[in-house]
Amino acid sequence: MNKNKLTNLKEDLKKNQVEIMLYPSKCDGCENEGFTACVKACETHMNEKYGSKYTGARINIKKKADKFFPVICRNCEEAPCVDACMPGARYKDMETGWTITNYKKCVGCWMCVMSCPFGAIERAKEDHFASKCDGCVDDDTPKCVAACKKGALKRIGIKNYSYERRLMIAKKIYGPYIKSGVKG
Amino acid sequence: MKYVIIGNSYAGLSCGSAIRRFDKTGEVTIISDENYRAYARPLISYYLEGKTTDETIWYKDDDYYEKNGFKLILGKKVVSVDTAAKKVVIEDGTKIDYDKLFVGSGGTPFVPPTEGFNPESLMMGTFTRFDDAKKIKNAAKMAKNKEAIVVGGGLIGLKASEGLRALGLHVTIVELLPRVLGLALDEISGNITAKRLNENGIDTATGETVTKINLNESGNPTSVILKSGKELIADIVVVGVGVRPNVGFLEGSGVKIDRGIIVDKTMMTSVKDVYAGGDAVVIYDVINKRPNIIAIVPLACEEGRVAGTNMAGIYREYSGGMGLNSVEIYGLPIVTIGLTNPADDSQKVYMFQDDEKIYRKLVYDGEVLVGAILLGDIAGSGILSAIIRQGLKCLKYKDEFLNGNIYSFVIDNEFEIYNINEGYAIRGDFEDLPEFSRTNWR
Repeated sequence: MNKNKLTNLKEDLKKNQVEIMLYPSKCDGCENEGFTACVKACETHMNEKYGSKYTGARINIKKKADKFFPVICRNCEEAPCVDACMPGARYKDMETGWTITNYKKCVGCWMCVMSCPFGAIERAKEDHFASKCDGCVDDDTPKCVAACKKGALKRIGIKNYSYERRLMIAKKIYGPYIKSGVKG
Repeated sequence: MKYVIIGNSYAGLSCGSAIRRFDKTGEVTIISDENYRAYARPLISYYLEGKTTDETIWYKDDDYYEKNGFKLILGKKVVSVDTAAKKVVIEDGTKIDYDKLFVGSGGTPFVPPTEGFNPESLMMGTFTRFDDAKKIKNAAKMAKNKEAIVVGGGLIGLKASEGLRALGLHVTIVELLPRVLGLALDEISGNITAKRLNENGIDTATGETVTKINLNESGNPTSVILKSGKELIADIVVVGVGVRPNVGFLEGSGVKIDRGIIVDKTMMTSVKDVYAGGDAVVIYDVINKRPNIIAIVPLACEEGRVAGTNMAGIYREYSGGMGLNSVEIYGLPIVTIGLTNPADDSQKVYMFQDDEKIYRKLVYDGEVLVGAILLGDIAGSGILSAIIRQGLKCLKYKDEFLNGNIYSFVIDNEFEIYNINEGYAIRGDFEDLPEFSRTNWR
């Protein structure tokens, strides 16, 4: 991969082509703090943003033995949840590039829950709507990213995102033969 | 370039959006025989319940067509397609030229031959269109005995009965198969669902058919007679048995039809420059490994998108889809994915049941998961559908899946398992393909 192809965050921010990158290996579930920082930050922020009707955190930490895994929207290019959405509540915002939800249209048919290959869409408690991360594109840094002190969540440009994701896959397959060459 | 799209619903609009993604100037005409702009068709039952209103039933924004420069022809049926001269003939005789044609005509409701069925009656009909929902809503106000009969216990029938029930009628579902949602559910989940329906004022008569509908002098139903000889009072009769591909107008066009429209990997029919997608086409079923008609919303969108991309001149293949569905019956969410009732003994079935609240069923073919039913708790069901669609080996996770720890598969495998592109693309997948890159989107 040619390093020149990668862009810097400032340029990406201007073009609104920014993603939230996950580094699951760095997540420790905030075990020592007694609560998960990103989930709490998201919950508070969503309450402010959408009001008490469509509350609930859009990020979740799943645990298995001593391993933690943040579950959050990966913002698919051709999102299965948009395809599956019968009322047309979920759509791709052409300006920001994020997959967002018009909760007024959502009826709770759970088609998106059934379609999301990452399991990132969950039913909010007993309510009849499927909540999903909206990328917090209005903020400079999403609240969950700001809250994470472990470096498991990072704001990153789309080109770097694509590259790092593939690098992670390659690393997983070829392990020690590949050295990580990208910073920031 | 002149594009014509027949059908103004999920497949057609998905195709239109894909064309616009690559061709900003081409002339796109969308033809529909209904008088509405695109609405959420499966939600017409929610319209009866009042969960969806006249304001929220529309599938796209108000300015969607203008913004994309789509020309819309509403309320006009396509009568025939002249593939030699590349013309679409509509009801009033107008001929519309096309360079590339997309057929997303969907399905027409199938009505089994029943004595007394009178679609002209205001108290009787099928249930697939917005007009049908409006008709039923009016009929419910006029119903004297507050009794309704729904023929068919599939998704259409179930949702129609839920809607009728919300309008204050007592509903009886008449289903030929031994249980409701008979094709997707098994005996246990079918019984749980039926019980939930019964508790909420919907009776189920399974293993039954309606043989005769008795009419009064104005042609409206008064009662129905079942196969067993039983007579039930009926103010309203709704037939929701199923749909058949709406392909009658393609007769003589040379497009190959075998039950549905036959398409190749690029979603092109047997005639050049004619593409198809949605409920009207036969596509490859990755689970049953044979061509099949799979009439669900997610696949219609995927097919439309692949067809639209090819129509705009960018080569793309569709690898096939699988059947999956999600429905909520009175607060009981049900997800069915892939093969749920195996006919073959070589396929192993694993089940977990917690009373009538939670039920999970997994169907394995060797080490590969091929089907699942999740009832009650559907968290993480999307992960299962991704696993099933990709045919991943996951027999060692069966106990965890049964106990509801579906996320453990993701935690162990992190996310590279999803790198196989199956009709949809994960963010960043296209960055090395300039024509697909997001910089081309706007």
